[in-house]
Amino acid sequence: MNSSLEAKALGLALIVASASLGGAWGSAFFIQSHVTFVSSDFQGESLPGDITSSPVLIAQGREFFTMSCAECHGDDALGGDEAPNLHHLVISNARIAKTIKKGIKDEMPMFAKKYDAHQILSLIAYLRSLH
Amino acid sequence: MSIDPALWSKLHGASTHFPVALTMAAALFDSLGFILPERSGHKAKLHAAGYYAIILGALGTFPAVLSGLFLTKGVVLGHDALLYHHLFVWPAFAVLVALGVWRALVGEKFSERGFRLYLVGLLLTAGLMAAAGYWGGELILNS
Ligand code: HEC
Repeated sequence: MNSSLEAKALGLALIVASASLGGAWGSAFFIQSHVTFVSSDFQGESLPGDITSSPVLIAQGREFFTMSCAECHGDDALGGDEAPNLHHLVISNARIAKTIKKGIKDEMPMFAKKYDAHQILSLIAYLRSLH
Repeated sequence: MSIDPALWSKLHGASTHFPVALTMAAALFDSLGFILPERSGHKAKLHAAGYYAIILGALGTFPAVLSGLFLTKGVVLGHDALLYHHLFVWPAFAVLVALGVWRALVGEKFSERGFRLYLVGLLLTAGLMAAAGYWGGELILNS
């Protein structure tokens, strides 16, 4: 009895939902191209000092990266056949550190034995310095 | 435009829980309202609660989605936890908006078959929202 109301409502619902999804993805595109951000560390947590402002730390991190990570993630961390691009990481510094320490099961080796906390910090500084 | 990213992190955290909770509440109220017998005397009240919960939930997704997009600088998919988050977020967002619009228009004038379909969609969406929330939590909490 109410099926025509329900059908009309469904039609409109689908239109509004598509428009919303389109609007969201459109805004994503707009944000990507027009909005600049103050800091690259969006999680808002800070590390001892601002690590990305230390060229020494970054250079050290780059060296470690070339030795241990570039074979998978590419020379400039732009991504390889199997491993992702590491520019503009959206995960927190703490999570990057955890990924480096513990690795990712079946995907990425762990580096907890190879690098100490400060060396891992330098790797994070290098990754955060990438633009 | 220049924006402090920590602000978006806070806004996303503050805004995401409303649509998740409201969708679950809507699923609970409307399912109970559907299942309970007429003589219980609660049917109409439960359906009314389900009606307002889904409409507010659907409206609440917009600030949640927008703040999330600003937070990630406009990433639609990403990878790892963020990718999983998005694989649940986008279908949940679209279906939730559709459910909210449908329910707002149909109100209490639904057929039994129509409402059964609506409930299936609603329960599915509540599941998607929970999964999206889980992976969103992984992005910050598990760090
Ligand atoms: C054997 C190849 C390999 C090596 C070596 C490797 N990675 Fe990875 N890494 C991967 C893969 C594959 C992924 C993605 C896993 C996934 O998507 O599930 C990944 C993911 C990551 C992520 C997470 C990215 C994100 O957005 O969540 C970070 C950070 C990372 N690697 C950093 C490093 C660093 C730093 C090193 C060197 C110390 C390194 N990786 C060495 C293969 C590797």
